[in-house]
Amino acid sequence: MVRELLTGNMAAAWGVRLANVDYVPAFPITPQTEIIETLSQWFAEGAMRGKFVTMDSEHSMVTAAGAASATGTRVFTATSSQGLLYALEVLYTVAGWRVPLVMVNVSRALSSPITLEPDHNDILSARDCGFLQIHAETCQEVLDSILMAYKIAEDHRVLLPILINMDGYYLSFTREPVEIPSKEKVEEFLAPYKPRHAFFRASNPMAQGVAVLGGSIYSYFKYQMHMASLNALEVHEEVAKEFDHLFGRKYGAIEQYRMDDAEYVLVMSNAFATKGKAAVDRFRKTGYKTGLLRPRLVRPFPAKEIINALKERKGVAVFDQNISVGSGGVFYTEIAAALCAETKRPVILSFIGGLGGKDISVVEFQKILEDTVSAADSGITPGIQLLYTEAEWKQMSHLLEIAGKSPE
Amino acid sequence: MDAKKYPPGTGVFGMIRIRFHGRGGHGIKTASRIVGTAAFSEGYHVQDFPLYGAERRGAPITAYTRIADETILERGIIADPDVVIIADDSLIEDPMANPLGGIGPSTLIVINTNKPGIQERFAITARIHSIDATGLSLGIIGKAGAVSAALGGAACRILGFIPRDAMERAVIKELQSIGIPAQLIDKNVEVAVRCFESLPAYEITNRETAPSISAKTFTIPYQEPTISSPSVYASGNITGRQTGRWRIFKPVIHYDKCNKCWLCFVWCPEGVISLDDSEYPHIDYDHCKGCLICYEECPTKVITIEREVTAW
Repeated sequence: MVRELLTGNMAAAWGVRLANVDYVPAFPITPQTEIIETLSQWFAEGAMRGKFVTMDSEHSMVTAAGAASATGTRVFTATSSQGLLYALEVLYTVAGWRVPLVMVNVSRALSSPITLEPDHNDILSARDCGFLQIHAETCQEVLDSILMAYKIAEDHRVLLPILINMDGYYLSFTREPVEIPSKEKVEEFLAPYKPRHAFFRASNPMAQGVAVLGGSIYSYFKYQMHMASLNALEVHEEVAKEFDHLFGRKYGAIEQYRMDDAEYVLVMSNAFATKGKAAVDRFRKTGYKTGLLRPRLVRPFPAKEIINALKERKGVAVFDQNISVGSGGVFYTEIAAALCAETKRPVILSFIGGLGGKDISVVEFQKILEDTVSAADSGITPGIQLLYTEAEWKQMSHLLEIAGKSPE
Repeated sequence: MDAKKYPPGTGVFGMIRIRFHGRGGHGIKTASRIVGTAAFSEGYHVQDFPLYGAERRGAPITAYTRIADETILERGIIADPDVVIIADDSLIEDPMANPLGGIGPSTLIVINTNKPGIQERFAITARIHSIDATGLSLGIIGKAGAVSAALGGAACRILGFIPRDAMERAVIKELQSIGIPAQLIDKNVEVAVRCFESLPAYEITNRETAPSISAKTFTIPYQEPTISSPSVYASGNITGRQTGRWRIFKPVIHYDKCNKCWLCFVWCPEGVISLDDSEYPHIDYDHCKGCLICYEECPTKVITIEREVTAW
């Protein structure tokens, strides 16, 4: 074990190296490129044994990843943003093949307007495709989640691919201390993949990914995927327990920060949850009993754990770093749906923030607290709100002026 | 060798936030990593992070290093820095870079410049130190593109708790990681040490960032698509961006010897060389970025270069 300063991208590459991955099809895109550059170098130097192949697009890349995984090898690939969307068609396809590949998405807001910094519309657009999803807050969690992901994906109760999400820039290019576990310990944790259902052997021919006609056949296969995904709740818990035992780091389907006596809860995912924790510390200094809940396992959705963590609170503020245009925040909708059957439930508020990587200032966190406390007192919740500051509005107006667009 | 003023884990200073401003090619990301690596090797919690858009040489970029004696619960940009390192004095007036944003009277600024009177000229109330990292690099290394080691060394010194040997090891480690040859690393270490020793060591007291309650949130209104769609109606606005500030060296054409071959005009990637009525080439210095391709390509060698000094 060594402790080093690593970016999220480097942490991802180390996870892949330690997992003894056999095959990496790759295509570059900012802010993910550093992962595949690093892996390409390691394959070239012989530090990793296997095959690294550059592809002509993300669509081909995920097809190759799925096909290779269907031969029974351990496969990794990574992309971001527009690349993930370009591959979306085949994400559904390979998930249906029930192949346990692991893929990293480095979040970047979607065009248009085209930009580079993160929000979660890219990863959440792949919410329904059958890939499990783990959303990481720290660089350490990126590395650890890759190791855990292979063990979960390759478990026979699951056999579905996994997407691990990290924020572009705020994790991908951010260095922080990361423990790189020893090869021996990882081998103790993660056994080689032994496929039983999908593999390539000349003596044992099979047709995979067959077409079906007729809804009853299709429904059967689709619902099998859903049940396998739900099985991952239990498998994740087992794997996390073993991981904690071996490496001393504990991961839940959700993370709870200062939640014991919390009356008001902030729900935040991914890297900005770190800023949310600092906000909780500040709120507590001013006398408000607050806590933070971070959904880590996003697919399968850990509804039961979320209900148990939130149902007895006074107020819940869901911070969505995404926007379903014409509806609102994706996490808000799912958390509100999970809590709606509870007779005793908190007021639930919805905030959209950090779109395109926009920073969240102290005053915006303060607004979340004040609105949540007042909604809990009055029972009246405001509608969806975009977090924005007066200074940002001033700057935006100035830019519009430069662009030759002045309001009448 | 400096004594450690703030042993890790003592909770004395909480967190120190350092913000680096430079242009693509200055090595600001590496400078921020040199400080990060040095502090990490001394046992502190560290987070470093560069922020740039579409990467290109000369465009303003920012990098950040946070050093703490406890877990760092921050991410992203630093709005209220304790230390600001500026790689190029032309950045001071750049509205996109805004290197003086969020500084307070206790902020320490180190600026790479060969011009006197920066503090007075820009009415800066914070403590400020000037170093001529570009001049030092020209002298010791022979060229002055990246000033990462110089600025990394300067930042380590100003913090007061990073010993010189930790700084040197960090310079070597970071330059090795980006594939700089050993001989060049030695020269960079020399530059870093010169910068380190030319500055005083401070005892930085971290500013407990008081929530800026004066700031206000804002509810944005709906606006017509003529305003709210991502298009630009104003034409010809590129001339408003004076990319001539990016130069370290200025190409100068000597017309007494120029034979009007126009190769500089053809090669200029920015299209800032034009021909006058007598077909002589002229450089638009407001927008010439100083790439020096014209200087390299001129077959009769009638273009010379001069170290840039902005006329104040």
